[in-house]
Amino acid sequence: MREKTPRKFSTTPGTRDVLPPESTRLLDAQAKVLDRFRLHGFREVVTPALEYSEVIEEPKLRDSAFKLFDPDNQMLLLRPEVTTPVARLVAQRLRNTPPPYKLSYSLPVYRRAGVGRGQSAEFRQAGVEAVGSGSPGEDAGAIALLVDVLRALGLRPGTDFALVLGQAAFYRGYLKSATPGVAAGVLAALANKDLVRVDEISRALRPEVAASVREIPRLVGPAAEGSVLERAARYAGESGEAAAALENLRLILGHLRAVGCLDGVMLDFGLIGRHDYYTGAVYEVYASGLGFTVANGGRYDNLLRRFGEPLPATGFAISLERLVSVLPEQDPAPLVVLVGASVEATRAAAELRGSGVPVLHLAEDLPPAEAADYARSVEAGWVCYPALGGVKVAPAQGGEPEIVPVDAVAGRVLS
Amino acid sequence: MRGLRVAVPKGAIFDDALAALEAAGMPVGVLREDGRRLLYRAEGAEFIVSRPSDVPVFVEHGAADVGIVGKDVLDEQRPNVMELGDLGTGACEMVLAAPREEVENVRRAISHAEVVRVGTKFPNVARRYFEGMGRQVEVIELHGSVELAPLVGLAECIVDLTATGTTLRENDLVVLDEISSSTARLIANRGAYRLRHREVSALMEAVHRNGERVG
Repeated sequence: MREKTPRKFSTTPGTRDVLPPESTRLLDAQAKVLDRFRLHGFREVVTPALEYSEVIEEPKLRDSAFKLFDPDNQMLLLRPEVTTPVARLVAQRLRNTPPPYKLSYSLPVYRRAGVGRGQSAEFRQAGVEAVGSGSPGEDAGAIALLVDVLRALGLRPGTDFALVLGQAAFYRGYLKSATPGVAAGVLAALANKDLVRVDEISRALRPEVAASVREIPRLVGPAAEGSVLERAARYAGESGEAAAALENLRLILGHLRAVGCLDGVMLDFGLIGRHDYYTGAVYEVYASGLGFTVANGGRYDNLLRRFGEPLPATGFAISLERLVSVLPEQDPAPLVVLVGASVEATRAAAELRGSGVPVLHLAEDLPPAEAADYARSVEAGWVCYPALGGVKVAPAQGGEPEIVPVDAVAGRVLS
Repeated sequence: MRGLRVAVPKGAIFDDALAALEAAGMPVGVLREDGRRLLYRAEGAEFIVSRPSDVPVFVEHGAADVGIVGKDVLDEQRPNVMELGDLGTGACEMVLAAPREEVENVRRAISHAEVVRVGTKFPNVARRYFEGMGRQVEVIELHGSVELAPLVGLAECIVDLTATGTTLRENDLVVLDEISSSTARLIANRGAYRLRHREVSALMEAVHRNGERVG
């Protein structure tokens, strides 16, 4: 009997080992995502896992970060997200090159929060940031890229996922002009997604203002039908800021319509994202069957100022593990297990790989039943033995072996 | 596509929750017939019956689309869900209470910023309350009959929920401060609120109308 493993040999709470086939699915999805990012001209960066704690400012993120001290007693954080490190990178390293800076990443992030609530302490984010341009075309470009990524992975807009789009400056602009005294309180309540509190605050206001304060965050509907926009336009009222935000949203939608990305986009004027972070368009992706966001993003024009470069910026992050959990099932990639300790076996394996067949060479002389067991354990579809005139091929699931010439194996197993 | 899946809490606000859902046209009759089941189906809708403190967990994870739960539970857990409506029912108060003969001692201890021991089912609410006043507290988390704690010297006072004050009176506990008031709330999963907006907003409207009438 095996000895019981000591507790310290398990993974720490919220982290896990990822094994095949899940790891394969994760890394395949990551590769496809990065491929689409490149197609849209975003270039990858890698930032350190450790950052000085001062780099991250948002209290909630700082609280949730793992902390440690370096030999100089400086407090360090394991990055709890990637947007801020990328902002730091842009401000420090790229100031001598012309904007906009279109960068992408796929990196693990670390958070204490949610451990025990079924959320992970370590997960992968893949995202893009377009820094240095305030154009609505950049917002639309990021959204279109996100939709493109999801489609490329086999998700259908409107059926499998919805992209919920808001404009944080609209409600803020309305509140600032109509009822500045309560604006901060209302926005804090809405950032907490507490519409009941918004209603409570509105009761002290003039009836027509109260109605707007209550109703704007409840404006939700498909972007393809114009009715939500029309209703929002009625609330813009005297506020130039709200009207400008609405116009910005119209322009973004115009770009999206032009590239056929409007299906599955839902407008939600109650979506403002994290408190005091997003300054314009803000969006979240939801997939059917998953209670959490798959991706989120938006415009954050105030973040770069902290790093001494007041640049507008927009971008999104995809949570890769969540994305993979909603992807359609896929057959395992083709793989052949070639069995044999002889030099002929080694040569046959090399020849097969040369013809494009993925081969796991098992350099032992295993009997067919055990070899088939092994092949199934690594999700290989076929078992081969070296033979005169080619290789002897049998399906791992059972079936008669056949002698096939080496150059014909690809045609057999890759179909 | 299935209908909405609704998480309903057992206990004090169960009947209020059913009344509100019924007013919104949901087929809740099945929940009244047999009190032992955990999952009910009727006319496409599904109902989960769970402990009140589990309702936000089901909803946050999307295992239920919407749920009904007291504001007290939301204050304690701060789940990442949409809080959509006030049912106006199930009103109760979160209070700080102490045994009658200890009231002055506790009051003095708090005003002198001494460490006070508090027994409660709501550790986060209790901690935030004392921190908000700049006072120190040692929270002892309990899962039932919190009133017992000060009677046997486990804690000096309690932070607990009271609707009528009967239990407090029976145990000779006196309210020192009202921390917050709570009513039943309609909550929704963030995804369900958008992906099933038509159904969820219809429920929200109905709860709102009903709440105005009740409240």
